[in-house]
This record gives sequence, structure tokens and C-alpha cells, in this order.
Amino acid sequence: MSGILIIAEHIQGELRDISLEMIGAANSIKEAYGGPVSVAVISDDPTSLAEQVNLQGVDDIVTVDVGVSHFDAAIYEEVACQLGAELKPGLILFGHTVNGMACSAAVAARLGSGFASDVFGLQVIDGELLATRSAYGNKVNMEVEFGGKGVVTLALRGATFEAPEDKGSATVTARDVDLSIVTGISRHVEYQEAPPSDIDISKAEFIMSIGRGIQDQENLPRFAELAERLGATFGCSRPIVDSGWLPKPHQVGQSGKVATDCKLYLALGISGAVQHLFGMKHVDTIIAVNTDPNAPIFNVATYGATIDLFELTEALERQFN
Amino acid sequence: MVSDVLSHRTLRRRDPMAGLAHGGIFIGFLFGLIGTTIIFVETDIIKPLFGVTFWKGDFYLFTSLALDIGHLAAVLGIVYMMWRRAILTPTKLDYLRTYRGEETVRPPAAKWKVEDWNFISVLLLIEISGFIQEGARLLMDQPEWAAWSPVGNAVAAILGGLGMSVEGASEVRAANWWIHGLLGLAFTAAIPWYKAKHIISVVGSLSVRDAMALRRLPKEVDEAGSVGIVNVEDFTWKDMLHFDACTKCGRCHEACPARSAGYPLSPRDLILDLRLHNDTRQGVAIEGEALIGDIIDPDTLWACRSCGACQEICPVGIEHPTMIVRMRRQLVEQGNMDPLLQATLNTIGDTGNSFGENARTRSAWTRELGFVVKDIRQESAENLWFVGDFASFDPRNQIISQTFAKLLKAAAVDFALLHDGEKTAGNDIRRVGEEGLFESLVEHNLEEMSAAKSFQRIITTDPHSYNTIRNEYPEFGDVSEIEHYSAVLADLLRSGRLKVKAPLKKRVTFHDPCHLGRLNGGYEAPREVLRLIGCEIIEMPRNRDNSFCCGAGGGRIWIPDQQGTEKPSENRVHEAAALGPIDVFVTCCPKDLTMFEDARKTGGHEDDFVVQDIAELVAEAVALESLVPSDTPAPAMPEPAPPAEVVSAQVKPTIEATTVVAPMALKAMDWDNLTPVQPVELKPYEVPAKEGPRILVTIKHAAVLGDEHAFTEDGCDIENEYLEHSLNEWDDAALEEALQIIEKLGSGDGEVVAVAIGPEDADISLRKVLAKGASRAVRVWHDSLSGADPVSVARAIAGVAKREDPDLILTGVQSSDHAHGSTGTALARILGLPHAAVVIDVEWDGVSKLVVTRELEGGTRHTIEIPSPAVLSIQTGINEPRYATMRMIKQAKKKQLDILDGASVIDGTGGYAVRRMYVPEQTKAEMLSGSAEDIATFIANLIREKTGG
Repeated sequence: MSGILIIAEHIQGELRDISLEMIGAANSIKEAYGGPVSVAVISDDPTSLAEQVNLQGVDDIVTVDVGVSHFDAAIYEEVACQLGAELKPGLILFGHTVNGMACSAAVAARLGSGFASDVFGLQVIDGELLATRSAYGNKVNMEVEFGGKGVVTLALRGATFEAPEDKGSATVTARDVDLSIVTGISRHVEYQEAPPSDIDISKAEFIMSIGRGIQDQENLPRFAELAERLGATFGCSRPIVDSGWLPKPHQVGQSGKVATDCKLYLALGISGAVQHLFGMKHVDTIIAVNTDPNAPIFNVATYGATIDLFELTEALERQFN
Repeated sequence: MVSDVLSHRTLRRRDPMAGLAHGGIFIGFLFGLIGTTIIFVETDIIKPLFGVTFWKGDFYLFTSLALDIGHLAAVLGIVYMMWRRAILTPTKLDYLRTYRGEETVRPPAAKWKVEDWNFISVLLLIEISGFIQEGARLLMDQPEWAAWSPVGNAVAAILGGLGMSVEGASEVRAANWWIHGLLGLAFTAAIPWYKAKHIISVVGSLSVRDAMALRRLPKEVDEAGSVGIVNVEDFTWKDMLHFDACTKCGRCHEACPARSAGYPLSPRDLILDLRLHNDTRQGVAIEGEALIGDIIDPDTLWACRSCGACQEICPVGIEHPTMIVRMRRQLVEQGNMDPLLQATLNTIGDTGNSFGENARTRSAWTRELGFVVKDIRQESAENLWFVGDFASFDPRNQIISQTFAKLLKAAAVDFALLHDGEKTAGNDIRRVGEEGLFESLVEHNLEEMSAAKSFQRIITTDPHSYNTIRNEYPEFGDVSEIEHYSAVLADLLRSGRLKVKAPLKKRVTFHDPCHLGRLNGGYEAPREVLRLIGCEIIEMPRNRDNSFCCGAGGGRIWIPDQQGTEKPSENRVHEAAALGPIDVFVTCCPKDLTMFEDARKTGGHEDDFVVQDIAELVAEAVALESLVPSDTPAPAMPEPAPPAEVVSAQVKPTIEATTVVAPMALKAMDWDNLTPVQPVELKPYEVPAKEGPRILVTIKHAAVLGDEHAFTEDGCDIENEYLEHSLNEWDDAALEEALQIIEKLGSGDGEVVAVAIGPEDADISLRKVLAKGASRAVRVWHDSLSGADPVSVARAIAGVAKREDPDLILTGVQSSDHAHGSTGTALARILGLPHAAVVIDVEWDGVSKLVVTRELEGGTRHTIEIPSPAVLSIQTGINEPRYATMRMIKQAKKKQLDILDGASVIDGTGGYAVRRMYVPEQTKAEMLSGSAEDIATFIANLIREKTGG
């Protein structure tokens, strides 16, 4: 069995990055696993999105007009299964996103296919697919196999695989899928945007946190502005909140918020009290800047620097001008 | 009691003038009482019966003199008290609750002021009228012995000087007799009704004082009934006697670190509120009124640090902290506590320590010592060192533990640890009010100690462990004598087993830990140590029994600080800084070290002094590094797991090794031969008939991997002993949601059924959810399910769902260990049910219509309507899960828990098989060098790369 079917994801008319990253993932094993790579775009107006997924390595793009623009897990599942029966791919890819979580495992259970979620590594060894995912709170990795199953469904971790840069030359085909059995089960009510000022450390993917090293409350606005320029959520350690310099929702750590979804953490002037580390030591990439070379923060950091905080801040401000 | 009353010991402390003044009034009263009693005995008993009189001669003269002096003392005392209230106006007597933002005095407090003035004014009038009476009589009679009544004589002279005649004096005497008599009678009659009652109640309150109060908290006696203090009916006569004894003096109000830091707790106001309430309700609770909530603010109770400063200074023997803890027990029962505290209690229940670390790492700090630390479970030792949590797990305090261990080694002291057998001693857990958890910890530690090889005594660096093991453990079983390390060090230095190489000549101040000093009298040993190593001790104004709490006690270390309050620890470092130049702020308590190191930085005293543990100073004085032999063999503990590259899991395991994990046995399939996953067929078990909506909640006993690990032989999993397990927090949220839905539907007929796929251990989490309110639980297991993929797990759950026929199924979004985020969705498909993933709001009519809101990335919300039955995966944050106390968990053992064989679950239709597990590359900071510009460029590139910006 060969061939890879990618179920593209979009929200409110915008294609999500994971859709393109899945193409990159498929390309990385295409040669060993076997093509073609097909991308399914499911929407009420799929053609406008179809062109965006026409990237290097994609062989076919299948558009399915389902008559609704919002996400409906039952529709996605039905389309994936019916397209699968038609295209007979060996591998079906979803994003391990909130919407991906709502349908990937259902497709797997319905097909009785192999399945793994939150996959961040793909390999083909001797024609057999291997997927890598985390276990035990990201502390170890597990490599899983699918026992020779002819069909495997995977949900891929976001911000992990690289999207192809070049445009592709895929053929775009519109297909009709009979949705009569799933129509009307679920009713879409509404999408609600999050209030823009919401600080949510637990959901932030990039956090810039400050600690006592900023020395004075007067320096605070400068760092707040830097965080904004970097596109980071502005976090801090406990003493900053204790001093009343920033409100509680900014606090990272045991008594504040755990940076659950954080991928990149920039710790400025934080020595790394155990309570703070609790909230962020699991983050994949941590950059720590502190003048004390023995600060515990460096035990958990990926990169460290013992440079003067304000010199660095100036240089960073120039970088992100 | 008698000596306290006579000596006024408790009254003189920290307010000597008030104590002296009270002493004057007391003596006046006492002498007056004796004098009138003598007259009564003579006039009404002895004279009518025997015709004998003795109220004459030298006896009369001497008594007269004593009475005169006594009453003079009383007058002076009263006048001072009035001056103090009117002119000195100490803030503690204004009854204004500024810590609650009060700007005007509340009506009951305004009444207290009237009462206070009334009390001393009437007293003064009685005294003055008494002297006038005496003066008038002396003026009339002009006896030779008038000098024996000096005050009366002086009054007579003044009256005479003012031109009063003998006749005038006679008239005054006749009229004043009534005034004095009526005032006296009125005063006496009114005693039970106002402040004067303390004259009687204090005697009672002091008599029933518990010498062990707070050091040893009372057990929770009524296992079946209400927990702690629920309402006014739960107060004992002893509590009420304490209420009545309070004179509002405010000594506790001044001493309380919580009040000083701006927290809403004044021990005095708490007692007065309770007294007012009790006076109103007369010991009978009324429906709809909550003692905790309506009368006493829960925040007031949570503000306490169990430092004991209030009860220690209370002149009338009130035991405030014990009452606070008993009320906290009820708060814990209700789950009415800070989320962080609740999480910590859960963590302690799961792992036996507040850090949530695997027990294996408890003695990890010993590995760098370079010598073997005995395991008391293997070999006997003179001393068993009970280390405690902070000293075991907190990096800064681990250094202290290592230092003390080396000091013991250098002094050739034979010691051993319980290693991973130790659990937190439970002192602060008891003070939080989680009595059941405390008891289970005590049972564990006592069992470990009694199963251990022999040892003579216990030593500890932790005053909190010291207190509970010394004072509370003996109530639960035999326990050896315990010594705090300050006493051990003092002994070693005194006896010369540790020799000071060079006196330190440092100016230091010493902070008395509450649990060592005030509660257990350990004031001198640490000071002796400091003197022996050549330090000059500059005492802070508040020292010894007046030591000021660091703020971490009573479980407060697990409760975030309240906004806008000064930390007690900062208040304390300011006090130290005000001493003038000192070198070191010395502590001998792990929590103190943590709190004061922080406070030194946040309080702006980084340049003023350093914070050090007493063991560090001793180490310096004895030149420890030159003493400890470094050539000692073999580390005390097994080496931590080898790094990734040598892990056997790198080798692909053989097929045989992984056949237990299902899909190995899978047949190859293709699109023309696909088989949907089916629910497993489980053996029937007793499922009660449905009486209302039934919600099935999936529960995982999720694993947490500590900093160490070893892989199983087949390389496909982690060895179980390296894992700690606890109720998966997403499932906890799902359970809470299910309970709330059933509660909201209101009929009382609904039920929540918990289902877990897991080994026997998973019963721990099932018991917890049963304690929280699930009606029944079902667990499916077979060893072949170990390491099973989410689709197989969903197939097993589906088998239970088939039997239970639920109206709604809630799962957690994911588990904290493997984070598949897939089980709920797979389950829905296997059962053919509608579903919604990542749900943060649920509205259900209990029959067929569900409106759910899903939380998408970036906080966007998606609301949909689906029919029920359905499967919803619940996101954390949707609610605040309730707390199950250890008592509730024990009681939940009575609930039905069915265990089913899951041997047929793995049939080849599952999702994956683990091929190997391995450690990803270690992240250790790669230090960046170069100019600020270089580093900024590197960071900028990294940011752009990671964020796609």
C-alpha cells in the first residue's frame, strides 16, 4: 500500500500552518514510502484554499465542497473515509490540533487502521512506517510501529515539520462525497474570538519572562514593549508579581501558570527558583540570560548567556526594530 | 494557673506598664476581697455563734494598712489605665480592623469601648467612694491609730482642710455609704454580663489551658459525624470558656504575623467574633447560617501561619491556633481552599512529598557526598536522620543537608536515613487541616521506623518535622526521642568532636524558628553553637518567644501571597537590617532559609547581609572541607540511570519481547479488507438499574516520570518504580463536570460511574473519584494491556459502556503522561456516538440536547449543538475540581468497584505497538559567548526560526 492522503485544516477561511507542515512531512518519506501525495481540502469554497496547498511534492489536490465553512468533525471523518476508499492511500495525515483531535482517532477506529497521535518524527525502514512521539510528559520518546497494517492514520504535531517553500504543480480535482448520513447530526452555533488582551501563559507558545534581574519597576515598560516586539507573551517570575509590578496572570511557575504549550521560552534576569522552573523547565527551547553563571536556570536552559541584561535588551531592540 | 494569676507573668510581658497597672487593680481587689471576707466571717459567723471578735487590735491595724495600700494601688492602676486609653491610645485598643479596610469602628466594637470605660470608671468610683467613706469616718472619730490608714487619713486631712466639720463628715458618711454600697453591689451583680466577668472566667480559662496546645493538635474524634468545627454547636465548653475569658487586650493582635502583614486575621478579633456569635446563638446553630462564611471569613482562617505567637502571649490562656485548625478541617472537607494548596495536598497524597518527586530521589542529595550514607532499613545506626521535604528536594537546602551530613561524618557520628522510605512528616499538613492525610503519613513513617534496624534517637534539621515527631507521633505509636540539629551541633562543638579552627568573628543575628523556639523551647542550643564558633550575636528586638514568623508555617508556603500585603519575611529582614551592620542572618530551618533568602532580595537588603544556615557557619568555623575524607568508596545509592546512549532500548527488541503489545499480531489489511474497531465483549457484572441520567467518566491513573529512569528489559517502557502515579488532571476535570451536571439536573437520581483501564494501582485514583462523588467504579485490566495504544484502550472502555448504557460519556482531553488526546474520539466512533473534542463548556438538558463549547488554539471558541448520548473530551480549566480528603477516600472503600478481565481487548485492531523508548538528547545550556550584538543576533534568529516570524 502506498500513497499519502493529507487532510488540510483551516479555520474561518484561513489555511492553518499545520496543513503545509503535513505536506513537508509527507515529502520527507515520500520516496521511501511511496506516493502519490494527495491533499484534501474540505470547505464550502475549497478552490480558494486549494491553490495554497499546491506546494512542491503534492501530486493531487482533492477539493470537496461540503456546503459549510465551519469545522464539523463528523463531516471531516466521513470525507476522509470516503476519499480513502477511493484513493486507497496507505497513510492518512491529520494535524494534532484541536480539530484534528476531533476526527483523526475516529477515522482510525472506523477503519481499524494503525494510529498514533502527536507524532513529531516519521521514518520508513524496510518499507515499514515508524512514528516517533513523546511519552511521560515529554521526558522520553517512543518509537511506534503498526504491525504491518495496510493503512495508518497519524496526527502530526504542529510547528515540527517544515513546510515546502516552493510551489507545486498538482492537479486539482473536485469530488463529490455523499454526506447524507452525517448531515444534521451536529449544528454549528458560532465561533467566538478570544478577548485580545487575554494573557494566557498556559497556552502561549512563545514566552518572554522577566525576573528580579530587571532591577527596578521603572524598567518594566521597556521589557513589556520588547516582548510585544518579539511577538512573545509577557511572563514573569514570582517576585515580580509579589512586588506588584505585574498582575498574577503573567506569573509562570508553581503558584502561577505552567507554560504548558510553550515551545520557546526566553528567561531574562531569572535565576530559576524551583517554583519558577516547575512552570517552564519542560519547554523545548529555553534561552536564559542571567549574570550569575551558577544560576539554576542554566540547568534547564537550551542556551544561556551571562551578559548584562540591559546591553542585550538594547541589541535585541535593534534586531526587532 | 495560680502562679500565673498571682505573678501576673503573662500580663507583664511586652506591656510592662499595663501589667503593673493591672497588678495594682488586682491587689486592690484581692485585698478588698480578703478584708471584706474577714469582716463577713467575724460579723456573720463567728461573733453570732461564739461571741468572739478578732477585728481589733494589731490585727485590725495591720489589715487596715494593707487594705489602704491595696486600694491605693488599685486607684493608681485605674488612673494609668484611663490615661493609657485616653492619652496613649495604643492602636490595638481602637478595635478598628484596618487590615480589613475599616475606617470607622463597627457598632459592636463601639459598644466595647463604652464597656471598657464603664468598667474602669465604675471601679474608680467605687475606690474613691471607699476612701471618702474612710476619710469621713476618720475625720469624725479622729482615732489615735489613724496613721495605720494613711490614705484614709490623708483624705480626712483634705476633707478637714476643705473645712468639713465632724457633722458634715457624718452626713457625707451616711450618704456616701449608700453610694459606695450600691456601686459595689451593682458592680458585683453585673460581673457576669460584661468585661468584669474575666475576673471569674480567666481562672477557668487558665485552669483548662492545654500545655501542649498547638504543639500537639487534637485528633479528630467524631469519625462519622461532622469534621472539624462546622457551626457553633461544635464548640466545646472549653472553647466557650476561652471566648468568655478574652479581655480584648490585643496582645495577640499585636503579635500576629498575619495581621502585621496586612492579612485579614487578628486572633483577638477572631475570638471576639466567635464570642459575639456564640452569645447570640447560645450554642444553637440556625439553619441557613454558616459559621465559616457568614461569621468567619475563610480567608481569615487561611491567613494563619500556626506560629503560636497569639496563644503564647495570651494572658488568659486562649488557644487560638487550635480553634483555627479545627475550623480549617471543615474548610478542607468542603474543598474550600486555594487551588495551589489543593494541588499540593493531592501531590503529597500521591507521592508522599510536597515536591511531587519520585520517592527514589529523596536521598539523591547524598550521592555527591563521596561517602556511604547508611540505610536504616538495612543496617542499624546510632542516629536516624529524618530529613524532611525541603531539606531533601529543594536545591538550596540540599546543600545544607550535605553540609550537615559532612559535619556528622567529620565528627564520626553514626547516622542513617530512611531514604525512599521517608514521607513528609505531616506537621504542616495537620495544621492545614487535612487530618486524614496527616494520619496516613504518620502511619507510614511509624511503620517504616518500626520495621527499621535499631537506632537510638532521631535527628532532624527541620523544626516542623521535629515538632510533630516529638509531640504528635507518640499519640500514634512508639517513637524514639528526637533532637534538632542545633542541639546536635552544640553537643559536638562543646564536646570537642568538632573543633573550631578559627573563630568566625562575625556579627550575626539569629532567627528563632517558631517550631523550634516558641513551640519547643529550643532557644539556647543554636545560640550556644553561634557563640562556640566565635560569632557575636546581635539579637533582633523580637527574639526567642517573641520571634516573628517567616510566614511559611501552617501550610502557608503552599498558598500564594495575597496582593498588597507585606510578606512577614520581609518585615523580619527589615528588622534585621535595622540592627546596624551585621554579616549574617542565621537560620536553622529549611523553610526559613528559603523565605529569608527571598525576602533579602525582594526586601532590598542584598548589600546588607547574607542569609545562611547555622550548619554552613559551623562548616566554615571547623574548616569542614579539610576534614571530610574524600577517598571514601562507593556512593550510597545506586547510580542514576545511564544516559541515553548506553540504554539497551537502542537495540530493536525482538518480536518475542513485544508480543504482549498487541499490534505485533495484526494481520496486514488493505482498503478492501478494513474492519472497524468493535467494543470488547466483557463478562457481565452487576449494573444497577438506571434511576436517572448516568454519566460515564473515564479515569486514568496517569504516570509522572521523575528525573531518573530505567527502561524495562524489552526497552519499550519505563520501569514502574521510576514512575509516580496520580489521577490524571484532565480526567479530574471531566469527573468534576459530570458531578456538577448531575447536581445541576437536581433530581438526585443521576449517577456518575467511573471507568479505568489499568492495573490494581489504578484503584487509588478510582477511590479518589469515588470519594469525590462517583457512585460506582469499574476497572478493566489484563497484563496484555500494559502500554496499550489509545484505540485499544477505547475498545476496552467501549466494552464497559456497552454494559452501562450511559446517557453521556466524559473523558479528559488527554492524559498527562502520554498525551494521546485520542481516546475520547476513538471511543465515540467505536460506540457510534456523536462527540466533541476539547470542551470547555457544557449545557445538557439531561435527555437529548447538548450545547458544548470547544476551545480552539489561541483561545477561539467554537460552540456546537449535538444530540446525546455523546462523548465529550473535557479540557482543564472548565471547572475547579473538588478535593477528596483522606477521610473521604477511606470512606469510599465501601463503594462498589467492579474489576473485569480485559484479556480479550487486544485483538489486533489497536493503533500501534511501541518499538522502543529512548531519552531524547539532554538539554543542557549551551553558553553563548560574544558581544551583546552577537548574542542578540543568535537569539533573534532562533526566535524567527521557532515562531516562523
